[in-house]
Amino acid sequence: MPTQPATSSQSDQIPAIQNLISVLWPSFLTAAAATIVFFTLFDPVQLGRLLGLELSRMAGYTGGFFAFWFLTSISCALTCYFRRPCHRVSSVDRE
Amino acid sequence: MSSNENKPASAQDAALEDELYKKREKLYVREVHGIWAKMRNLAMFSLLGLYYGLAWINWNGQQIVLFDLPARQFHIFGFTFWPQDFIYLSALLIIAALALFMFTALAGRLWCGYACPQTVWTEIYMWMERLVEGDSRKRKKLDNGPRDFNFYRIKTSKHLVWLVFSLWTGFTFVGYFTPIRELAESLVTFNLGPWETFWILFYGFATHGNAGFMREQVCIYMCPYARFQSAMIDRNTLMISYDPKRGEPRGTRKKGVDPKSVGKGDCIDCSLCVQVCPTGIDIRNGLQYQCIGCAACIDVCDEVMDKMGYERGLIKYTTENALEGQKTKIMRPRMFVYIGIISIVSLMLFYALLTRVPLEVDIIRDRSALFTENRQGLIENVYNLKVINMDKDDHLYTITVDGLDGIEVKGGASVEVSTGEVADLPLRVQVPPGSIKARSNEIYFNITTNDGSGIELREPARFLGPVQR
Repeated sequence: MPTQPATSSQSDQIPAIQNLISVLWPSFLTAAAATIVFFTLFDPVQLGRLLGLELSRMAGYTGGFFAFWFLTSISCALTCYFRRPCHRVSSVDRE
Repeated sequence: MSSNENKPASAQDAALEDELYKKREKLYVREVHGIWAKMRNLAMFSLLGLYYGLAWINWNGQQIVLFDLPARQFHIFGFTFWPQDFIYLSALLIIAALALFMFTALAGRLWCGYACPQTVWTEIYMWMERLVEGDSRKRKKLDNGPRDFNFYRIKTSKHLVWLVFSLWTGFTFVGYFTPIRELAESLVTFNLGPWETFWILFYGFATHGNAGFMREQVCIYMCPYARFQSAMIDRNTLMISYDPKRGEPRGTRKKGVDPKSVGKGDCIDCSLCVQVCPTGIDIRNGLQYQCIGCAACIDVCDEVMDKMGYERGLIKYTTENALEGQKTKIMRPRMFVYIGIISIVSLMLFYALLTRVPLEVDIIRDRSALFTENRQGLIENVYNLKVINMDKDDHLYTITVDGLDGIEVKGGASVEVSTGEVADLPLRVQVPPGSIKARSNEIYFNITTNDGSGIELREPARFLGPVQR
């Protein structure tokens, strides 16, 4: 979960809620698109059978959507994390 | 009222970055009346009416719009679509996207101001808020006042009203994916499935949050369209603009005073255009990405102009060219491109829908044996046919084969498939050995109906046999 960045220059003070939105929202959009495409191609009932599970379609869709959302939000969270400036740390390292 | 109100216009550019990152201040949007407010209300009522009503309309015993996810079928106005028909949906999305571009190029963010679900639901939630908490002044006073019994009573009532509406919204949403009448039945008998319950709550929660709390922040921080709209806007795009030539220098004056005599423009700096803005901006600072094009500022400014006895239209729908006294050109190359592509894709979609065969047959060759020779000396291949009836009626399908001399389906084959059902049909196809020319031969399955529906399909398949000496 993104929190208030550690650095304190003025433009870095993004409210936590906006950080949260920038992780959850783009990932939600891409997960929704991925879910639609994925389940157009694959029937969750048949996928469940391959895994030896008795899935209802609604359960499959719901689980699939949240699995996609989980994955995409990890990638968004990592982007947010790596976007934070790190020059301060590297200048200390060089000295 | 927003913090923008006190900000001098010149500081706006420098403040843009802060603007993007600043902590949100709650807006108390003032109610507005006028022609554009009427248009917005009309759009709101028709769109919400459509959303809440359409799910309940049945046609031929079938919900008229039902994205039946459990059955993997979409029913839309008498058509039944299957996952195989994904291409139609793609075409529809292309048309919708291009139409959005076209209307943006034509008149700015019409979509945002009048049709976007975010705007529409925000409007209705603000309306409910106004009913419970009163006008913008009362709302602000309440929020800044003491946290007494009255405060909690009013806030609780508002949230209860919102909550009921949110749950109804969530219920309707799920009603587009599982038949809404059955859903209502299971709701009143407390038999809702776990997934339905979950999605009703999830969608209701999202509506409550987006329309009740997030509001303009969704447009400013979350909407991708707001960020790339400028790519579609040019000098000939109708947009909501303030006429600085006419308005500046702004300032207060007594009623009935000729502005020129006191060295002022027509803007009386009453700040009403800021107070009515749902995103809290000042339209007098020019085109801003936060502007959702709702035209509330036009309505309120026209009212003020009427009161002052000035001409209307200090803020109005106009183009950059018109503001600079040049000619506005509506039909420009980009419009021809948009209209051209939309027409082509629409025609293709229309043609594809008209000639669509509501039947799908998957032919899978049995892989356990390449071929067998039966007692009569005929070469046999085994196939498994998956016959999907995508029509709205039941049909009896007859299957024949051709492509090799003397080829036939052993014992003949026909299968009755109800509407929306899939039938598995194992078939033996036999061929006299003399007519087999190669190891792998192309044959055709013909699937026909003779009930006058005219549905038929011809599908290729491979027939394997021994190579002749």
